Amino acid sequence: MSAPKSTTTGLKKRENAILDLLKKGLERKCFDTVLIPVKVPAGDSYVWVLAQDNSLLDDASPLPPVMPVHGAKAISSVMRRGKGRKRIATVMRPCEISATIELSKLGQVELDNVFLISIDCPGVLPLSDYLENPKKGGDAFEKVFKQWGNGSVRPICQVCHRFSMPTGASDIHIGMLEAGERDIFIISNSPKGEAILKELDISPKKEIGSWKDKVKEITEERKNKRKNLQEELKPGVVGLDRLLDTFSKCINCHNCMRVCPVCYCRQCYFDSDKLKHPYEDYLFRAEMSGGLRFLPDTLLFHLGRMAHMSLSCVSCGSCEDACPLKIPVSQIFGLVADETQKLFDYIPGRKTDEPVPMATYKEEELKEVED
Amino acid sequence: MKGEFTPKIVGFLCNWCSYAGADLAGTSKLKMPPSVSSIRVMCSGRVDPVLVATAFLRGADGVLVAGCHPGDCHYEKGNYYARRRFAILKKVMETLGLESERLRLSWVSASEGPRFQEVITEFTEKIKKLGPNPVKEKTSL
Ligand code: SF4
Ligand code: SF4
Ligand code: SF4
Ligand code: FES
Repeated sequence: MSAPKSTTTGLKKRENAILDLLKKGLERKCFDTVLIPVKVPAGDSYVWVLAQDNSLLDDASPLPPVMPVHGAKAISSVMRRGKGRKRIATVMRPCEISATIELSKLGQVELDNVFLISIDCPGVLPLSDYLENPKKGGDAFEKVFKQWGNGSVRPICQVCHRFSMPTGASDIHIGMLEAGERDIFIISNSPKGEAILKELDISPKKEIGSWKDKVKEITEERKNKRKNLQEELKPGVVGLDRLLDTFSKCINCHNCMRVCPVCYCRQCYFDSDKLKHPYEDYLFRAEMSGGLRFLPDTLLFHLGRMAHMSLSCVSCGSCEDACPLKIPVSQIFGLVADETQKLFDYIPGRKTDEPVPMATYKEEELKEVED
Repeated sequence: MKGEFTPKIVGFLCNWCSYAGADLAGTSKLKMPPSVSSIRVMCSGRVDPVLVATAFLRGADGVLVAGCHPGDCHYEKGNYYARRRFAILKKVMETLGLESERLRLSWVSASEGPRFQEVITEFTEKIKKLGPNPVKEKTSL
C-alpha cells in the first residue's frame, strides 16, 4: 500500500492556479460569472455550475476526471433564449471549446459576452468506469494527469490529437504540459483574451517554447495512434453486415444524439412524427425482407445523424459515454467525420468566422459526385 | 424461376427542371427502362440526405437526385447545397462500405428530354451490373 496521499496533488495545484485566475477576474469584474464543473455534493459526479461568487469556486474543478455533460451543451443551454448583458467566463476542454464554436456558427451560442478559456486536456475516464468507484476513479485520474493520457482514459481520448489549443479559437489557453510543479502557462489566443490578462496584470509567459514542442510531439504521436485505432476498428464496422452487427445491439434510446453537443436541432427528425409510419408500411417492409426489426430504422438514424452533423463532430466521446449498450459510437462517428471533414478541408471549431460547410458552397467544386 | 432483374430506382426530381425533363422524355416517347419511381420535389436543395438514405435502406436499388444545372436553380443556389449534402452522404456511405455507387446526382434541364433518357438508361445499366440492393435481404435494419 502506498503512503497516505498529500491532500494537494499536482493536479489540484494546477486547478487551484486556474481558480485563482478566475477569482481575480470576478473580483476585478472582468466577467460577471463563471461557468465551471463542480463536484456534486454526493461526491460521485460533476455538474456545470454558473458560479457567481468566489466561495463556490473553491469547490470547482476546471479539470474533472469525467465529462458527464459536455461543456458546449451547458453553455448553449444558458443561451437557449438568446444572449444577455452579463459576461460569462468558462473553462473548458478543447473539444468543448470547439463544439461551442460550432454552435456559435449555428446561432445557438453568442460569443460576444463569453470568454472561452481552453485547457490542455489529458483525457477523461469512461463515465461508467468512474461511477463504479468514484474514489478509485479520482486516483486513476491523478495518474492520467501525470502520465498525460494513459490507458485508463476513453479510447477516443487516447487518440485525441486536438487535446490542446496552441492556435485555437479560445480567448485564453491554459497550458500545463512542461509547466513544472505548481505552474501553468497562461496564453492569450485572442485580442479579448489579451485585454483580460492586461486587466489582471498577468503578462503572458514568453518562454512557452517547451510547451509548444511537447504539444507538437504528442499531437503527432496521437495522429498516428488515431490512424491505428481506425484501422483496427474498420474490419469490425465497415460493410453492410458488419455495420448491422455493430448496431444490432442498439436499443434506439437516442442518448447518443441527445448528449451530442453538435446535434443542433431543437427537434430531432428521428424523434419526430416523420418517422412514425402506418401499420401497413411496416408490414410491407417485413414482407419484402421476410421480417423487420423493432424498434425499426436503427441504421437510418445513425447514417442520418452522420450525414447531418459529422462535419461538426469534435470527437468528444460523449455519445459513447452515454451509450448504455457500449457501442463504440464516437469511434465510428470519428472515422466517418475525419472523411467528411476532409472533403471540405474543414476542422470544426478551428475558427469562429468560418461557416459550417452545410451553410455555404462554391460554384466550382465536387464535380466528382456529378454524373 | 428468376426473371431478369429490373432495378427499382427512386428519383428525386426537381419540379422546375428534371421533373419537366422527365415529362418531356415521356411525351416525346423516348424509350427508357421502366425503372424509375419519381418523387417531385420543389428543388434539389430540398432533398435532405436522410431522404436519400431512407430510399436506400428501404431497398431502392438506385437513388437518383436530379436538379437544374448549376447556375439555373429556380431558387438560385439550392442545387449547390444539394451537391454538398449529396457528397457528404456519399462519403459517409463510402467510408462505411455501403454501396455508395447506388447513388447518383445529375443535372437535367426542362428541355433535356434526351438527356433524361440517357441518365436513366445509363444508371439502370449500372445498377443491373451491381445487382439488387443487398439491404432487401436484411431484417435488422
Ligand atoms: S458524434 Fe459523438 S463524438 Fe462526435 S461530437 Fe457528437 S457526441 Fe461528440
Ligand atoms: S440527428 Fe439530425 S435531425 Fe437529429 S438532432 Fe442530429 S442533426 Fe438534428
Ligand atoms: S446511445 Fe447507444 S443504444 Fe442508444 S441509440 Fe445511441 S447507439 Fe443506440
Ligand atoms: S429549382 Fe431545380 S435545383 Fe433548385
